[in-house]
Amino acid sequence: MKKELKATGVVKRYGKKEVLHGVDVCIEPGVIYGLIGRNGAGKTTLMGILTAQNTFDEGEVTYGGQPVWENRAALAELCFSREIPTTLLMGQNTSKVRDYLSAAAVYYPHWDKEYAQRLVDRFGLDRKKSVSKLSKGMLSMLTIVIALASRAPVTILDEPVAGLDVVAREDFYKLLLDDYAETNRTFIISTHIIEEAANVFERVLVLHDGRMLVDAPTDEFVQSFTLITGHEDEVAAVCSELGVSHAVHTERMGRQVQTAVRAPRSAVRAAAEGHDVDLEGINLQKAFVYLTQANGEGAAC
Amino acid sequence: MNASFNEASAIYLQIASMLEDDILRGILAEEEQVPSTNELARAYSINPATAAKGINLLVDEGVLYKKRGIGMFVAPGARGAIVQKRKDAFYEAYVTQLVREAKALDITKEELAAMIEKAAQG
Repeated sequence: MKKELKATGVVKRYGKKEVLHGVDVCIEPGVIYGLIGRNGAGKTTLMGILTAQNTFDEGEVTYGGQPVWENRAALAELCFSREIPTTLLMGQNTSKVRDYLSAAAVYYPHWDKEYAQRLVDRFGLDRKKSVSKLSKGMLSMLTIVIALASRAPVTILDEPVAGLDVVAREDFYKLLLDDYAETNRTFIISTHIIEEAANVFERVLVLHDGRMLVDAPTDEFVQSFTLITGHEDEVAAVCSELGVSHAVHTERMGRQVQTAVRAPRSAVRAAAEGHDVDLEGINLQKAFVYLTQANGEGAAC
Repeated sequence: MNASFNEASAIYLQIASMLEDDILRGILAEEEQVPSTNELARAYSINPATAAKGINLLVDEGVLYKKRGIGMFVAPGARGAIVQKRKDAFYEAYVTQLVREAKALDITKEELAAMIEKAAQG
């Protein structure tokens, strides 16, 4: 019953520019994934490909072992609630909120109308309003309503909280956890506001320059980094014992040096033994920044 | 010699520690049911798997036990076990550090004892 959504060696080109260079990822059922990556990393493209909304040039995408492309049975199980355009080719998008809701009701076989109505009321969305007249926050809410009420076993949200204020963002994650407690379905959520979502993600996917850099349990990924602080000589000694290649980021303040390393905790502890340095953990946002910032930026310690 | 590890501890450890606090303060009594993983997940906006990890840690330590089909309950004697565990942690985290710093400052054993006596009378 529970099926995996799997991409193997997915390559995507826009003209001559290759944006995904052979992405492998296996989305397990019943897990909340966080998909993070810098602007232009290929997140939205990948989400579109996973749900057969975008074409791709090489590789394979399957759901429960069956190719997703033009597969009605598979697509009935997948929901990618995209950002809603306020303008179309011919001018303003004059579709109304209720048009989007009724289209979703037709498109998604698991659609829960009663749930959609509750969410619309909770967010205070005006059903009669044209989407071109909605604020950015209201547009985000509409995409959230469609995603949640789709009740699709695999539900994908692209930047659902981007236009929301902090209260609405907290509200969204609570709604998400409520829904997840009830349905235990799979969610993939992309966001740039990493830290406040970090505890909601069971696993984290880091897409960087069209490659899947990380696919790991969130706490495991976060704990693979350690910050070493102390006198430059002491920190350098610890780093050389550990192997300099583990250093991912270094900051200096006079003789004090702070180096982030990516290595098992036990190895860092052992290397630090006998040296006067402080060791501390870092959060998901920092781990992401250290991993994806321009390479060689003072990384060596 | 003194590489100290000070990290914001993992979320599941914080969940376990919060439940322990509630047991110590009598907010959760022995033989009383503790919040479910979904209730904890919602209350703290964390993934239910993380909450479950915290609860399972306390089950392994014998602080909580599972009643099939009902939920998790505080084990008899849980409070005493937590107090003992925290005392051991207190010795490790504070007393050994205190003695180390005292040595570094040439404070004698007698001086240290007198200081503790003074602070305790505070």
